[in-house]
Amino acid sequence: MREIEPAISARGVTKSFGRQRVLDSLTVDIPSGVTYCLLGPNGSGKTTFIRAIVRLLRLDEGEMSVLGRPVSEVDKIYSQIGYMTQHKALYPDLTVQENMEFYAGLYGLKKQQRVARLEELLEMVDLSLHRSRLAGALSGGMYQRLSLACTLIHEPELLLLDEPTVGVDPRLRQTFWEYFNRLAKEGKTVLITTHLMDEAEKCRMVGYMRAGRMVAEGSPEEILHLAGLRPILKLWLAEPERDAAQLQAQGYEIEVEDGVVQVRLESHAQIKEVLAQVSPLDMRLAEPKLEEAFLRLSEAA
Amino acid sequence: MNRPAAGRVGVVALRVVRQLKRDRRTIGLIVFAPIVLMILFGYALSGDMSGVHLGLVDGGGHDALRAHLVSIQDFDILRLGSESDAERLISEGRLDGAVLLRPEEVRVLLDASSLQIAGAIAAAVQAGTAKERAGLETTGRTKGAENAIVTRYIFGYDLKMMDTVGPAILGLVVFFFTFINAAIAFIRERSQGTLEKFMVSPLSRVEMVSGYVLGFSLFTILQSATTLFVVTTLFGVPLRGSPLTAMAVVLLLGAGALVLGSFFSNFARSEFQVVQFIPLIITPQIVLCGIWWPLQSVPEFIRPFSYILPLTYAAHALRAVMLKGAGVADILYPDLLALGIFFLIFFAAATLMLRREVA
Repeated sequence: MREIEPAISARGVTKSFGRQRVLDSLTVDIPSGVTYCLLGPNGSGKTTFIRAIVRLLRLDEGEMSVLGRPVSEVDKIYSQIGYMTQHKALYPDLTVQENMEFYAGLYGLKKQQRVARLEELLEMVDLSLHRSRLAGALSGGMYQRLSLACTLIHEPELLLLDEPTVGVDPRLRQTFWEYFNRLAKEGKTVLITTHLMDEAEKCRMVGYMRAGRMVAEGSPEEILHLAGLRPILKLWLAEPERDAAQLQAQGYEIEVEDGVVQVRLESHAQIKEVLAQVSPLDMRLAEPKLEEAFLRLSEAA
Repeated sequence: MNRPAAGRVGVVALRVVRQLKRDRRTIGLIVFAPIVLMILFGYALSGDMSGVHLGLVDGGGHDALRAHLVSIQDFDILRLGSESDAERLISEGRLDGAVLLRPEEVRVLLDASSLQIAGAIAAAVQAGTAKERAGLETTGRTKGAENAIVTRYIFGYDLKMMDTVGPAILGLVVFFFTFINAAIAFIRERSQGTLEKFMVSPLSRVEMVSGYVLGFSLFTILQSATTLFVVTTLFGVPLRGSPLTAMAVVLLLGAGALVLGSFFSNFARSEFQVVQFIPLIITPQIVLCGIWWPLQSVPEFIRPFSYILPLTYAAHALRAVMLKGAGVADILYPDLLALGIFFLIFFAAATLMLRREVA
């Protein structure tokens, strides 16, 4: 199988502001056609990395390519990039529709395409009824949604979204994620920074940054595995000690706590195998949390 | 309601002092701007003039008056053959005035578009004539002392103060508002994040600044048309040339003010700091552009500075168009050329300052 070129590839990328090293020999590949979540505490270098991708920052060291081009030529493919900053980048004294039309014009959308795109996005961000309102009169969440719509207006191949869901209510956040995943399925790459772990779990891939370095990277399952966190199947059994011994003999990692047998699973596929061995009175699956994984990995780093 | 308490006032005062201490530019402005402005105003208002170009058509007689005019160091005397030469050179703006000496009379031709210079020449002739009369009385020869001084304004009428400053005020108004509005607009582009977003879009820096120039130009046209209407109808300032030529001058000046505002927005972080540019950028132009005080009254060591300010050329061109009926060809050099060069320099500077990369 031919290897698909990553949408973004960074090798030993370093950037300092004065004495503070914000990106420290960062090496990462962000595959094409995925939702990739960049996680990390404040000041870990997430926004700096995104700004370096679009060449708003000059790198001190290292190499980077974006959509197959060296980062020095990224300005030639700006029309393929959608960049949403934390500032929202809207004109408060223009209406919702005028803001969107402005960005559509900037990217040279033809009238027919512009109208169709506008309607689609207004629907997606649930602002159809507010198209004539001044952006400055919108609530924080609506403002955020308009900013996202403006970023998506030209159907970019690569989306760089810096904290796109801040202030957005859970229902709409769900819509956003469905949309991001749909874009990824269409082959577009969506790079998102967030503080929210539950959002990271919705991404195909997650990278955890700390002090300008990539601490861990992979799918949410891989991250959990890397941190040694696995799903735990809790079983309430009629004869816990006998069944625990039987499962242990089969090679399962077992712990018994207050009469509850806890089986540490390698994967969810093992649930069926365990249930073929024992007949529990009750059972519960405890999924490990990414947050815990990152805490562990951070400590280890 | 709480009664005013000295302690709370002190807390506020302390905070203000702390903030100002950290804002070096404001401290510099508080200390140095008044010094600079007082020097400029002081020199401009001193009444001294130099470099007044005066033509002299010598038809004989009036020795004392001639000697007096020649002795004035601030006057550059150009000797001419005829009155028509003097008229032509005044019309072309190469002379500020001329004195025609004839045994039977003294004729004074004045460029009425600058009342201050005209006043200075008239005063010099008066003083010279007084000397002449005094000399004649001393020698007992009074014949000729009553010779009349005939004053003629080249443009055929005696202009009021508003007539001469009105055209220049038109330029000043447009320059002032365009500069401030452009600087604030660019600061907002930065603070609301739109500038950063532009940087990551197909929009080039040249396109962005050009878009601003075009957008603002529409308002400049409106602004100049309304201001032109007010100064001509309400204040009766003459408009001898084409209103379109006057508006073209204002438009070019407005474009220069816009790119200057864009350029200086890089040195301000807030709208408040834009206001601080007024004493530094706007006021010197008001003092030095020749609107209120002729350039001849600006000391020679500051005068070169006048010639790099756009308002100097715009004021000169607008006076020429409105008071003398000059056409585009008449103001092309140096006024329109200078305004064009100013625009191009600051267009390039404003564009280059909109850097994408941060080191």
